Amino acid sequence: MKGATTHRYGMVIDLDKCTGCGACMIACMAENNVPFRDDESDKLLSLTWMRIFRLNNGKPFPEADVCYLPRPCMHCEGDHGHSPCVSVCPATATDYSRETGIVSQIYTRCFGCRYCMGACPYKARLFNWWDPVWPDGMEKFLNPDVSPRVRGVVEKCSFCYNRYQLAKNKAFLEGRRELEENEYQTSCTQACPAGAIVFGDLNNPHHQVHQLVDPDMAHGGRPRNPNAFRILERLGTNPKVYYLSSREWVRRSGDNTIEGEGKLKSH
Amino acid sequence: MNIGRRSFLSFLIGGAAGTALSPLPWKLTDDISIWSQNWPWTPVPATGEVTYANTTCTLCPGGCGISVRKIDERCVKIEGTPGHPVNDGGVCPLGSSGLQVLYGPARIKTPLKRVGERGQGRWMAISWEDALAQTADKLTELREGGQPQSVACLSGRTYGTMPSLLQRFMAAYGSPNFMTVPSMRDSYALTFAAMNGQTAMAGFDTENTDFVLSFGSGIIDGWGSPVRMFRANSAWQGGRGKVVQAEPRLSNTAAKSDIWAPIRPGTDAALALGMAHVIILEKRYRSDFVSNYTTGFDAFKTMVMAGYSPEKVAQITGVEKNTIVSLARSFARASRPLAICGRGRGEVPGSMNEFMAVHALNALVGVINRPGGVWALPEPGYIQWSGPDLDAVAIAGGRRQRLDGAGSSNPAASLPNRFFTTVAAGEDYPIEAMFISGANPDFDFLNNQRVAEAMAKIPFVVSFSSLMDDTARNADLILPDHVYLERYEDVPAPMGFQRPIIGLCRPAVTPQFNTMHTGDVIIQLAQTLGGTLADAFPWDNYEVCLQDTLGDQWDTLVEEGYAMDEGFSPAPWADMFGSRKFDFTAAGIRNGFVPVPIAGDDITYPLVLMPYDSMRVASGAIGNTPFMTKTVDENVLLHGMAFVQINPVTAGSLGLRQGDKAELTTPAGKAEVRTDLFEGIMPGVIAMPRGMGRTPYDKKLMKHGVSTNPLVSSVEDPISGLEAAWGVRAKLSKA
Amino acid sequence: MSTTEEHANEVPAEIADKKETTPETKKESAIGYVILFFFVGLIASLIVGWIIFPRLLYSQKSQPFDFNHAVHLDLVDEGCQSCHYFREDGSFSGVPKLAQCIDCHEEVNGEDPNEEIFVTEYVWKEREVPWLIYSKQPDCVFFSHVAHVSEDSLYDGKDCVTCHGYHGESETLRPYQYNRITNISRDIWGHNIAGFARNSWDRAKMDDCAKCHAEARDAASRRNLKAPTTRFITNIIDVAFPGTRPAGKGSSVQTERGACFECHK
Repeated sequence: MKGATTHRYGMVIDLDKCTGCGACMIACMAENNVPFRDDESDKLLSLTWMRIFRLNNGKPFPEADVCYLPRPCMHCEGDHGHSPCVSVCPATATDYSRETGIVSQIYTRCFGCRYCMGACPYKARLFNWWDPVWPDGMEKFLNPDVSPRVRGVVEKCSFCYNRYQLAKNKAFLEGRRELEENEYQTSCTQACPAGAIVFGDLNNPHHQVHQLVDPDMAHGGRPRNPNAFRILERLGTNPKVYYLSSREWVRRSGDNTIEGEGKLKSH
Repeated sequence: MNIGRRSFLSFLIGGAAGTALSPLPWKLTDDISIWSQNWPWTPVPATGEVTYANTTCTLCPGGCGISVRKIDERCVKIEGTPGHPVNDGGVCPLGSSGLQVLYGPARIKTPLKRVGERGQGRWMAISWEDALAQTADKLTELREGGQPQSVACLSGRTYGTMPSLLQRFMAAYGSPNFMTVPSMRDSYALTFAAMNGQTAMAGFDTENTDFVLSFGSGIIDGWGSPVRMFRANSAWQGGRGKVVQAEPRLSNTAAKSDIWAPIRPGTDAALALGMAHVIILEKRYRSDFVSNYTTGFDAFKTMVMAGYSPEKVAQITGVEKNTIVSLARSFARASRPLAICGRGRGEVPGSMNEFMAVHALNALVGVINRPGGVWALPEPGYIQWSGPDLDAVAIAGGRRQRLDGAGSSNPAASLPNRFFTTVAAGEDYPIEAMFISGANPDFDFLNNQRVAEAMAKIPFVVSFSSLMDDTARNADLILPDHVYLERYEDVPAPMGFQRPIIGLCRPAVTPQFNTMHTGDVIIQLAQTLGGTLADAFPWDNYEVCLQDTLGDQWDTLVEEGYAMDEGFSPAPWADMFGSRKFDFTAAGIRNGFVPVPIAGDDITYPLVLMPYDSMRVASGAIGNTPFMTKTVDENVLLHGMAFVQINPVTAGSLGLRQGDKAELTTPAGKAEVRTDLFEGIMPGVIAMPRGMGRTPYDKKLMKHGVSTNPLVSSVEDPISGLEAAWGVRAKLSKA
Repeated sequence: MSTTEEHANEVPAEIADKKETTPETKKESAIGYVILFFFVGLIASLIVGWIIFPRLLYSQKSQPFDFNHAVHLDLVDEGCQSCHYFREDGSFSGVPKLAQCIDCHEEVNGEDPNEEIFVTEYVWKEREVPWLIYSKQPDCVFFSHVAHVSEDSLYDGKDCVTCHGYHGESETLRPYQYNRITNISRDIWGHNIAGFARNSWDRAKMDDCAKCHAEARDAASRRNLKAPTTRFITNIIDVAFPGTRPAGKGSSVQTERGACFECHK
C-alpha cells in the first residue's frame, strides 16, 4: 500500500440544534438497507443503527426539560484501536481500521455470538433475530452499496463506509488519494434538517469536527470545548462521536454521575 | 466369499482416507459456509449507474426540493436538494421515507370498482376506459337530470394547477361545491383579510427574526415548512435569536425554546392581549406604524387596558404575572420580533380570535412586512386561464347555495367540516357524487364519524388516491393517481415561506402501476362530457396544460427545479396601509378573548385531552411509513397501543402508573390506551399524538395506535366556521 | 492407476486360494481382504472426490448467445476500457448495456447468427442481454476496479489481464459454470477443484486478494525503508530466507493486514 494517511473520522452532534425528529434514523435505514417488521415497538429487538434517546432532567412540572441524543456507533478507538467490541470478537468479524478510525462489521464473518453486544457500553450493536423481509416491491429501494444482512448476525453503524469507498473511487479516477471534507459525509449528516450533525476527520485541523470540539490528542481525544462531551467519557473507550450542549444537565447525563457528585469539570 | 466386519471397516477407513485426500470435504465445508452466509432468499440489490432526479416533495405543504438517488431505473434513496431555498439539503423523516410510499404495498395498482359492501375491501380491477366511462356516465346522468350541483369535490391542495383544474371542472360542470382542506393557512388568510384588509398569504421571515413568540406553534414539530423551520431554529440556537413557547405541554419546540411558558390550554389569545396590555401601557409599541397606518387602536387599547391586565391574564392563562410582563418587554424590545400561532403543525385551522390577537401583537411592534416579521404575500397568480364559458346548466347549478355555506355567510373559502355535517343531516339538496383528491377526510377530519355518516348518504364516491387510505377504502370507484415521484405537478407557495416560489414536481421514475395522472383524468372526463366542458379543457393532456400555464417559467423550472422571485420584498407600509389601514377592531378581536368552548363538562370529564403533533408521526393524507413508525418511541407506542402523556401528579390521583392500561373516554368516543407519566405536561391535561390508528389496510403501514380524530368533537369557529377544536374534555380510568 | 491394476491382479488369485484355506491361511487371506477393501474404499472415494464430486457440484448454463471479444477488441481504440469503462463517479460500468452496442448493431451487419439473435431478440425488443458474469463476486464483496487499475490508487495500477486473463482475446464464450450450493461462478474458486492456480487470473477467492494485498503492503513497506543499508539488508534477507520477513503492517487492528471493510460491504 502506498503510504496511507491516517484519518480519524468522527462526528459532532449539537444537541441544542437536534430536534429529535428522527430524520437521521430514517436516512440511515434507507442508506444501509436496515429492514423493518410489523411491530418495532420493542426497542431491544428493533434494528436502528442510529437511535435517538430522550433524556430528561428529572425535574417536576414546570421545570421539566427534555433533550434528544442521537446515538450512532461511537467508533471507539479505545487504546490504540482496541475498542471494547473489537477486542472480544472471536471471529475477526469486527475490526478497527487505523486508516479511517472506523470500527467495521463484516456480516458474513459474524456467527452471532453477540459477545460484542455485551461489550459495547453504548448499545450500538444490534442482532438480527429474523431474516430481513421487504414487502413485495419494496426491495426495489435497496441500496446496492450495502449488503443486506441475514438472520443471526450482528450489525451496527459503519459511518456509511460505503460512501467512503465511493468517494475514494471518484478520487482515484481523478488522480487523488485524499478526500475533501465534503466528499465523504454520512447519510445522517447529510439528511439532518437541523444541521445538527457534523462529520469529518478529527485529525484534520481544517475540518469542522476538529474545530468544534478541539480534541486533546494527548488525552485520548478528550474535548477541550467546555460545551462538548462524550458519552461515558470515563470508561476510556475514546469514542469518536462528540456531543455539544449548552445545558449542564445534558452534559452531566452523558456520564454515570453519582448523586451529589461535583459538577462536571470543564476540561 | 466372506466379507467380514473387518473388511467393511477397512473399506470405510480407506474411504475416509481417500475422501480426506480429495477436495470433497474441504470444498464442501467452504461452500456450505458461504451458502449459510449468503442465503439465496436474501435479496441482492442490483448495481448500476447512479443518477439523481431532482423534484419537489408534495407529501406535506412544505415544498422541499428533493433529490432522488437512482440506480439505473430504481429509486433507492431520497435526499434533500442542496442549495434549495426552502430546505437546502435537509430532509424530514416523512420526506426521506417517500420511497416506501412509491414502492409500498398500499399502492393501488389499477382502477378499482367496489364489488362488496362499502369498506369491505372487495374490489374488481377494471380498465381505465371502463372507469372513465362509468364516471362520465354518472356525471352525464346527473347533469341531464338538472342537478349538477349535487356533485361535490374535495381537494387536499389549495394552490396550483391541480386544484385549479378540479375547481374549473366543477365550475364548468355546474357545481358550486368545490372545497379544499383548510389549515392554518386559511386562518391566516382570513386574519389578513380582516385586519390587513387584503387577500394575501402569510409568509414568515424566520431567517431574520431575532425573537420568536410562539403560541403553541410546533416550530420544530412540523409547523410551516418543517425543514426550513428546523434550520431557522438552528440559527436561533446558535445565538441568532430567542424563542418563547407558550404551550401547556413541553413539546420539542418548548424544550428547545429559551423560555417555555406553560399556559392553560385554549387561552393563548388572552396571553397575547395581556402582552399587548403591557406593551401599550409601557408605550413600547411602534408608534410610527400604529399612528400612521392603523385604525381602531384606541378601541383596542381601551379593551386591553380594561380587561387584560397582567394580573387578570395570569388568572386566565396560568402564566405568572411577572412572566407576562417580562415576555412583553423582551418581545417589544427585540429588534426583529415575530409572533406566530397555528397549533402544532398547523393542520387544524384554529380560532380566529387567537390568530387576530397574535397578529395584533405583530402590528403593535410593527413587524408586518418588515425584515424578520410576518409578510403579506400575493397568492400565486400564474394560472391565467380564460373562462370557462358556462352553459345554462352550469350557470343554474353554479348559482345554487354551497352546502358548506362558505363564501356567503362566511368569509372562509371552503368549509368541508360543515359540508359533511350538512350532508350527514340531509339538509338542503342531496349530494349524489363526490370526488376526493389528495385528501383523506374519513381519517383526517375531527369527529370523523360524521364524515362517515355523510359519505354513507353519497351514492357515488370517487377517490383519486394512489394509496388505499381510509377514504379510498370507503369509495365506490378508485381512479388511482401516480404518486408524486411519478408525475408532473406545480408546487407553489410552501407553507409559511416568505417569497413567491413555485417548485416543480416531476417524475423521478416511470409509473410503476396502471395509474393515471388525475389531471389527465379530469381533462379526459371533460372532453368525454363535451360541450362547454370540453371547451374549458382544450389541452391534450396535463403536461401540456402545465407547460402552457407556466409559460416562461417552465424552462427555469425544468432547469432549476424551482422558480423563485429572488428580489421579492413585501409592500412597504405606505403602499399597503395607505388607503386601507390596519384594523385593530376587526370582528374576532373586537370583543377581546373569546375562549373556544370544547365539548364535555368538567365533572364527568375532569381532564383535557390535547392532540399533539410529532415529526415522527405523519398526520396528513399520507400516513406513517414503516420507517417512521420504527422511529416512534416505546413510550408513545408499544405493541400497537398508544400512550397518553399525563402528569405524574394527575396520574397519581387516578391511581395510574407508567405503562398502565387505561380507558380514555371523551364525549365523542372511547379508546384503550396506556399511560406515559411525563413531567412536561400540565396537571389536568393529557396529550396524544395525531395521525396514528389508521384503518389497517396494510399490516406494515400505519396500523398502529389510536387516532385522536374520532375522540375530539368538532368545534366551529364562530367567525370563520373553520375547525377550531384544540382539544376535548376527557376521562381516564384504569382498565 | 498402476496400484489399482496391481491389486486388481491379486484379487482373483486370493479368491482362487479360498477353497483350501487352513485357519492360518484364512487369517492371512482375511488380512488380504482388509488391505484390499482399504484400497477399494480409498480409490473409490478418491474417484468420487476428484472426479464425480466436481461434476455434481457445478452446473452450467450457456450464455444467451455467443460473443467474440477478439473481433471487437480489434475494432476499438482504447482496449478493454472502450466498452468496460469507468463512469464519472469512479464506478465501473461492467458489462456493456444495450445503449453502448446500439450504434453499430441497430441492424444485422454480418452473417453471424449470434449477431442476429442479439439484434432481433434484444436490440429490437429493447431488452438488456442477461449476460452471465464469470467474475461476479457475492454480494458481501466490495470491489473497486478503479482502485486496482489507477496508478494513483493505493495499489499499483494493474492491467485487466492480471485478474481476468486473456478473456479479451477469446473468440467464443465458454459455458458459465456455477456452484450448485452457493450459486457463485466457478471462476471465483477456480476451475481446478483443489484450488491450484497457475496464473493470477485462475482464481478470485478472498485468499487470492489477500495474497496480492500483502505483496502490495510489502512493496510499500520496502519503499518506506529510507536508509540504503537497511534496504540492502532487507533485500538480502528476502533472497536468503524468502517469506520470513513479516509483510508490511495493514490498517487492521485485528489482523495487522488490510482492514475488513476494505473489501467487504
